[in-house]
Amino acid sequence: MRRENLDAVVKALRAPTNRFVHEARVRTCLIVNGAGQALAQHGFTRAYEVVNIAALAAAAHAAAGALARLTDGDRWRHLHNAGKRQQMFLAPFRTPVEELILVAIFDEDSSLGLVQLFFDRLVSEIQALPEFQRAAAASSQASFEKDLEAGARRTTSTDGLAEA
Amino acid sequence: MSDLFAAVLTRLSRVPGVRGAMIVDISAGVPVVAEVSEGVPSDSIAALAASLYNRTARAAESVAFGHLDTLQLEADAGHVVIADAGETAVVAVADRSAQLGLVRLEVHRAAEALK
Repeated sequence: MRRENLDAVVKALRAPTNRFVHEARVRTCLIVNGAGQALAQHGFTRAYEVVNIAALAAAAHAAAGALARLTDGDRWRHLHNAGKRQQMFLAPFRTPVEELILVAIFDEDSSLGLVQLFFDRLVSEIQALPEFQRAAAASSQASFEKDLEAGARRTTSTDGLAEA
Repeated sequence: MSDLFAAVLTRLSRVPGVRGAMIVDISAGVPVVAEVSEGVPSDSIAALAASLYNRTARAAESVAFGHLDTLQLEADAGHVVIADAGETAVVAVADRSAQLGLVRLEVHRAAEALK
């Protein structure tokens, strides 16, 4: 859970996130850590949407991880939900210090293959960022909720918005 | 069906100069089956070929050219030929030295067999 260097992390993720959105042609995207703290987003305008989706993504990641372990799987690579008009791609990835989760929502302008292709590039870029080379301080029980809110606020505020 | 896919791809990949042949799910942009030489990134090619096909098909419709049948990309190092096969597309990646007419013919045959 990040707090003290949250501004730097949000800023560092802005360029790779924008490139991913542009190249993969996704409508909205969100990057969260395992605790459900939003670190980057594109396409969301309300903080509560970011908080809700971040929490659900972290929960889905935890549930899928547990399912993988129960079925002797090592870890899951991605979840894909194809709706009638929109599709959702949810995938975890590792950085040197923490595991992150990407949630991307796209329509007929993109495809699963395209999102997967540019997801791999996004992961490489994020893994190389200096902000993800050093572990962040652990969150206390008391500050947990504040940290979640700080992530949503920073990623949706005008100066912290991870959009072009 | 998988026998048909395999037969179609084997025939196409035997054309001299063809380095990769694949059947791609055109809406998902992922390969259904692929037969490619080492070093040919089938996942990336499938994603980009499907994207290119979908966008060009929309462009063709918007200028009233009707249904897009075949798409051919020429680059310094070779050719990519994409042909509509219903919910899928047949994609061939060929060297610059390949006989393009033959590649196109086989891609069309493959697409027709799958329709």
